[in-house]
Amino acid sequence: MYRYDQFDARIVAERVAQFRGQVARRLSGDILEDEFKPLRLQNGVYLQLHAYMLRIAIPYGQLNPVQLRRLAEVARDYDRGFGHFTTRQNIQFNWVALKDIPDVLEKLAEVEMHAIQTSGNCIRNTTTDHFAGAAQDELLDPRPWCEIIRQWSTFHPEFAFLPRKFKIAVTAAEHDRAAIRVHDVGLHIRQQDGITGFEVWVGGGQGRTPVIATLVNPFVPESQILDYLEAIMRVYNRYGRRDNKYKARIKILVTELGEAEYIRQVEEEFAAQRAHEKIDMPADEIARIHAYFAPPELAEKPAISQTLEAAKVSDPAFARWARINLHPHKVPGYASVTVSLKPIGIAPGDATDTQMELVADLAEKFGHGDIRVSHAQNLILPHVALDDLPEIYAALHAAGLSAANESRITDMIVCPGLDYCNLANARSIPVSLEVQKLFADPAYEEDIGRLHINVSGCINACGHHHVGHIGILGVDKKGEEFYQILLGGRADEKAALGTIVGPGLKAEQVPGAIHRVVEFYRAKRTSKDEKFIDTLERLGHQPFQEALYAAD
Amino acid sequence: MTSVRPKLKPETPKSVTAWETATGRTVWLKADGSWTEDITQLGVFTGEEAEERLAAAARQEGLVTDPYFMEVTADGQITGRETLRESLRAHYSEGGFDGAPREQETA
Repeated sequence: MYRYDQFDARIVAERVAQFRGQVARRLSGDILEDEFKPLRLQNGVYLQLHAYMLRIAIPYGQLNPVQLRRLAEVARDYDRGFGHFTTRQNIQFNWVALKDIPDVLEKLAEVEMHAIQTSGNCIRNTTTDHFAGAAQDELLDPRPWCEIIRQWSTFHPEFAFLPRKFKIAVTAAEHDRAAIRVHDVGLHIRQQDGITGFEVWVGGGQGRTPVIATLVNPFVPESQILDYLEAIMRVYNRYGRRDNKYKARIKILVTELGEAEYIRQVEEEFAAQRAHEKIDMPADEIARIHAYFAPPELAEKPAISQTLEAAKVSDPAFARWARINLHPHKVPGYASVTVSLKPIGIAPGDATDTQMELVADLAEKFGHGDIRVSHAQNLILPHVALDDLPEIYAALHAAGLSAANESRITDMIVCPGLDYCNLANARSIPVSLEVQKLFADPAYEEDIGRLHINVSGCINACGHHHVGHIGILGVDKKGEEFYQILLGGRADEKAALGTIVGPGLKAEQVPGAIHRVVEFYRAKRTSKDEKFIDTLERLGHQPFQEALYAAD
Repeated sequence: MTSVRPKLKPETPKSVTAWETATGRTVWLKADGSWTEDITQLGVFTGEEAEERLAAAARQEGLVTDPYFMEVTADGQITGRETLRESLRAHYSEGGFDGAPREQETA
C-alpha cells in the first residue's frame, strides 16, 4: 500500500490548517455561504438535506486497519455511530458538525487520509477492481497506476477547475469489476509484445444523459499514459461546456464532436505534447510506485483446505456464504472475501463503528492488513487463507456481517436518496429494503443467482440505476414518489444501459413488480446456469415488461 | 443549494427554515425571532412580515445558512409540494437516526 512521503504529509497537513481557518471565518460570519461553498466542497464537505456531509477519500478503495479504525472513531465521536461506503469506494459521514470537521480532518491526516478530490469539478478518486492484486483473472495489479494517476491529478493546476467533475477507473481483468465503460475515462491494462499499456475509453457516464464510453485508443504504452491523459483533459478543459452544467461532462463533448473528430483532437494534442513537453515516466519511478503494492507474503498452502471443507459440511449457512462471498485468489489456498454491507433491513453500504473495528481486526489477524471498499458498497478482505474462513465467518456472523449475497439480488447498489440527499426526488433506501424483504430467504436468493439491482433517488444516478440488470429510479410527480423500472443494464465488459420499461410505479408496487420479473426469469431460464441478464438478453425486454406490469 | 423550491403566494402561510451554520442541524424560525430545533415551536408568517423575516434571517449568515420559506398550514403543520422533503428534515432533526444503522423509518 502506498505510504505518504514528506511531501504528501505536508500537503495534507497544510490543507487541514487552511480549512480550519476557513471554517473559523465562516462561523464568525466573516465569509458568507456563497464564498464558503467552493472552499468546503474542495474539502469534501456538502450541506445536505438536514446536516453537513463529509466525504472522505479512500484512494482506489484501499484501507489499512489503522485507517479503518480511525474511520470508526470518527463515526463514534463525531457522527451517529456509522458511516456510509459509496460507489466511488469512498466513505461519507452524514451528521458531522461543521465546527468539528477541521478536527476530523486532522485526525484523518494522522493516518494518511483526507477529503481532497471527493467533490468539486476536479479529477475525483480513481477507482479500480476491488480484488486488485489478488484476483486470479487479472493481468497485472492496477493499483500502482491508480496511485500514479492520483499523484498526477492531485492539485494539478491545469485541471483544478474543469467544466465538471471527472471520474477515472482502471481495471486489469477481462471481467470488468470497475465499470470502466461508464466513466469519463476508463483504462484497461493490456500487454502487447511484452509492453504494458492501456486501452483507453472516454466519455462514458451515467446521470441524466447516460452514455457508454468510446474506445479512443486500443493501446497507449504505460510510459506515455500521463501524456495521453493530459491530452484528453486538455481537449475537455478547452472545449467542454461551461454554460450549462447538465451538458458539461466529457460525454457530451465526445457526443457533440463525434467520435472521429474527438479522437482526432486528442491525438493532435497528444502529438503536440509528445513533441514539446512530454512527461514520460522514468522506469525507476514506475518501479518505485509498484514497490508499494508488492503482494503479501503468502505461505504455501494446498489448494483444497480440509478445515474449510469440514466446516462447510457441518454448517450449511457457512457453506452458502463460502459459495457466494468468496472470489478466487491468484495464490492457491487463499481467497478474497466479500464482507457484505447489505444484510436484510439495513441501509445498503452502512457500517457501524464496531463493525468497522471488527473488519479492521480481522484484516490484521487474517488478511495481511489489507481492506478494500468495492464500488458495490461492500468491504473486501483480499488475501485470506481458506483455513481461516470458518473463524472469520463466525466473527462476521456475530457482528451481523455474514450476509451471503455478493452480487445477488439483495446486494443492491443504493444511493442515500431523499433520506439524506439534497438533490434527490425520492427515497431510495426504504424501497430497496422492501424489495430485499421479498428475497430474504437465502436459499431462494441463491437459486435466483447473480442479479444486480441498482437504485437511485433521482436522475443524477448515484445509485447507478442505468447499469443495474434491474434499475430503479425514484422520481417526483407533484410531490409524490414514483419509481421507474429499467431493465437490461450492465456495468461489466459488456456494458449496456438499461431502458425504462413503462410508467412509474408507486413505492408499494415496486417489490411485487420486481418479484414478478424474477419469477418470470426463473420460469424461462434454460438452466440455473443461465443468469438473469442472459435470459433477458436472449428473450428481449417485452416479456419481462409484461410480467412486470402483469398485476397492476 | 437544494432542488428547485416552489414559489409561495404572499397569503400562503409559511415558516422560515434553515441549517444552523455551526452544526448543519435543521432549524426553524420562532415567532419571537429566535431559532428552534423543535418544529412544534415554529412561527407562521404571511405577506410582508414573512418577507421581512426571511430577509432578516438571511442577514444572520454566521448563525444560519440558506434560510428559505417552508409551506405550512395556519396552525404550523407541514403542507404543500415539499411535504415529504420537509417532513424528512423534521423527522431526522428529532433524532430519526439515533445511531446504528437499522431499518429505515418513514417520515
